[in-house]
Amino acid sequence: MEKGKIIWSRNLLYWAWKIFIPNLILAIYILSIICFREDVSGSSCLLIIIGMLVYFFVRLYFYYYKIGFFLWNNVQNLREVINEFKKGRFTVNETINNSVNISPVLQDLLGIGKQFDLLLSSQDAELKKFHEIYSNIINSMNSSFIVLDREEKIVYANEGFCKKFHVDQERIIGKSLNSVFYFVNTRLKMGISQILQGNSKEDVILKNVHLMSIHRKSIISDIKISYMKVGDDFQIIVIIDDITDRFSKDYHASILSHLSETLGDETGIETTYYNILVGVTSGSGLGFNRAMLFMVEDDSLKGKMAVGPDSFDEAIEIWNSLGSSDSDLLIQYPMEIKRGELLRRVLDYNVKLSEENIFTNAVKNKERCHIKNAWNDPRVDDTIRHFLEVDEFIVMPMVSSGKAIGIIVADNKYNMTSISQQSIELLAIFAYQAAFLVENYLNLISVKREMKRLEERQEAIVESEKMAAVGRIASHIAHEIRNPLVTMGGYAKRILKNIEGDEVDLGKIEKSADIILKESERLEKILSNVMDFTKPAKYIKEFHNINIIIKDTHRLLKNLLLEKNIQVELNLDENLPEVQCDFNQMKQVLLNLFQNAIDATPSGGNITVSTDFDEKNIYIKVADSGTGIQAEDVEVIFEPFFTTKITGVGLGLANVKKIIKDHRGKIWAKNKDEGGAEFSIRLPIPSLENKINEAKEVF
Amino acid sequence: MARILIVEDEENLRELYAEELAESGYEVEKAHNGKDALNLINKKDFDIVLMDIRMPEMDGIETLGKIITMEKKIPVIIYTAYSNYKSNFMTWTADAYLTKSSNLDELKAKIEELLAAKKSQGR
Repeated sequence: MEKGKIIWSRNLLYWAWKIFIPNLILAIYILSIICFREDVSGSSCLLIIIGMLVYFFVRLYFYYYKIGFFLWNNVQNLREVINEFKKGRFTVNETINNSVNISPVLQDLLGIGKQFDLLLSSQDAELKKFHEIYSNIINSMNSSFIVLDREEKIVYANEGFCKKFHVDQERIIGKSLNSVFYFVNTRLKMGISQILQGNSKEDVILKNVHLMSIHRKSIISDIKISYMKVGDDFQIIVIIDDITDRFSKDYHASILSHLSETLGDETGIETTYYNILVGVTSGSGLGFNRAMLFMVEDDSLKGKMAVGPDSFDEAIEIWNSLGSSDSDLLIQYPMEIKRGELLRRVLDYNVKLSEENIFTNAVKNKERCHIKNAWNDPRVDDTIRHFLEVDEFIVMPMVSSGKAIGIIVADNKYNMTSISQQSIELLAIFAYQAAFLVENYLNLISVKREMKRLEERQEAIVESEKMAAVGRIASHIAHEIRNPLVTMGGYAKRILKNIEGDEVDLGKIEKSADIILKESERLEKILSNVMDFTKPAKYIKEFHNINIIIKDTHRLLKNLLLEKNIQVELNLDENLPEVQCDFNQMKQVLLNLFQNAIDATPSGGNITVSTDFDEKNIYIKVADSGTGIQAEDVEVIFEPFFTTKITGVGLGLANVKKIIKDHRGKIWAKNKDEGGAEFSIRLPIPSLENKINEAKEVF
Repeated sequence: MARILIVEDEENLRELYAEELAESGYEVEKAHNGKDALNLINKKDFDIVLMDIRMPEMDGIETLGKIITMEKKIPVIIYTAYSNYKSNFMTWTADAYLTKSSNLDELKAKIEELLAAKKSQGR
């Protein structure tokens, strides 16, 4: 437009300059000659005037020829040409083009215009081509995207988007997101409004958003919402990346691995069932809307777990909540068991396997059953129709080791989409894995239970071994207790008899009383020996001389030794340093070793107990003249439950070893060359060095 | 007068029996283990042997085995602090088995019973 104006005004000046001004100057010049020179004759004046006219017309012709300014049609043409320029393009009128009486200037101008037009139209073609390529790229893009205006109305949707959500591009333009989605995910809504309010000029990125098309197809997607300036206005571009496949793969893998992780947990079978069903429903409408688990127990099928919303609103809430936490974890699923109406109903379900219905048949036949129209299908009875309240559902048996251990029942109650073959296969895989895991779990539980029982039994055995030891000792000391008691009672009676008699013999009474006193002292001593032995095992480490403990133990067993006619030789080092130990525990050790030696030694044999020491340790040796230890047993005699005795349990030496270990010592056994076994104990002498080593070990 | 041999390693008990039985009108001899007892039995005749089981050198069971294989038959009463020695079958060969008690009435009754039996057998 501007350009046309310039050309036009410049032409005017040009004409003025080139035509009028030179002629005007010439005319003024000649007229001045005429006026000021009186001697100029009239004829020469005429000549000059004629010359001027000739000049004038020659000029006039020339300009006429050159630009045809004075021809009307040329002026018209010029206007048209100028108008063309004004339009910014140049499609020259045919009449101008064919006009013969066109000035060369105009022709030049036309030429330039044509060139210009050519240039423009070629650029236009380029632009069109570029646009085409560009839209092809956009349309063929894997991501789907839509452009929204500030009113949240759809301005543009690419082909990918339309295909993904099965919508017609032309129909959704100018409409809101509600025309595309079954429900608009809350997180998406919030993301858009965040951009709209201008709170964030940065992109909003949402992960694992659950979108559902109006055809109720679920898609898990990562979404990017960006702000886009268009002229004075702005638009919002929403790019949707479909991650459904990856998500569901990861989800199932993660659920399965979680399942195996929780297997050993104390959380119980309930959590395992729950996790199985969470996997089947995939938490977010990827799988089934609802899933229920029934297990075979004895001869019944019992409802165990259910996962799924109780209402449509709740379903949407669950679908909305996916991925809403900002955690980097790819997969999040609800870990709290929802105790709703559905679970209550499932837990109440308990049907004998002998009863015929679609559930029990699935168990008995180990076959899946896909019901498409429950209200008309004869295989479904009314109880189950009312139980599930859906048209379509699937019953999948959980088979492990050729045995159906339960069933999973799944349906799409809330989005009411039909059950696809793909999801049935997924359910089958899951049911298989789950059956395997559940069976493992149950096995594990029974193994654990068995282990616990064993542990308890072991404890009971240890206890009974203790009791047996106490009993043995008690039996050995019963003699000693009864003897003094009988003596005391007997002499007390004698005193009474003496007093009641005619003659009171004070000498006899004194003798009796003396005996009673001595015997009661003996009893007290026996009692304290027993008490020392039966005190609970609790280490009270004090400084003790092992020799004294050996002598004490020997005294306790004196009668037994007499009875078996076994001689005991004590080779005790008088200078033996004291060691830090628990008196009663050490006594127990020696009692055990004595007892073993006595058991192994035949009547008339002998037992040698000796002590000595070096710089760091003291040594105790208990040797017998018995049968010795079988060569293959030397290594294992200290292991719990090893025994060669018919009535023993085999905890004696194990207990001994433990006590010695707790005293930072060592015990070992060997057979003597001359026959019989020798048990050796090493105990550390408390010293600064030992203390330091001890401290080092602690840290 | 019936003659009784008391075999008991504990002095006080031995004396108690001896005094009590003597007061009941028996003639009493004492031995402090099995060996002593056998020596005495070989030398003298006894109507009844009253014997403990656990004794040094030679215990009651061994002694009992020797007594019952002798030509002369002497009734033996095993008299012990152990009640579980009944499980040793050797003790079954004794004529009576009693657990030690400060009440000697049971013992005395047993002695009378055995003596009466011996008398009737002798006839």
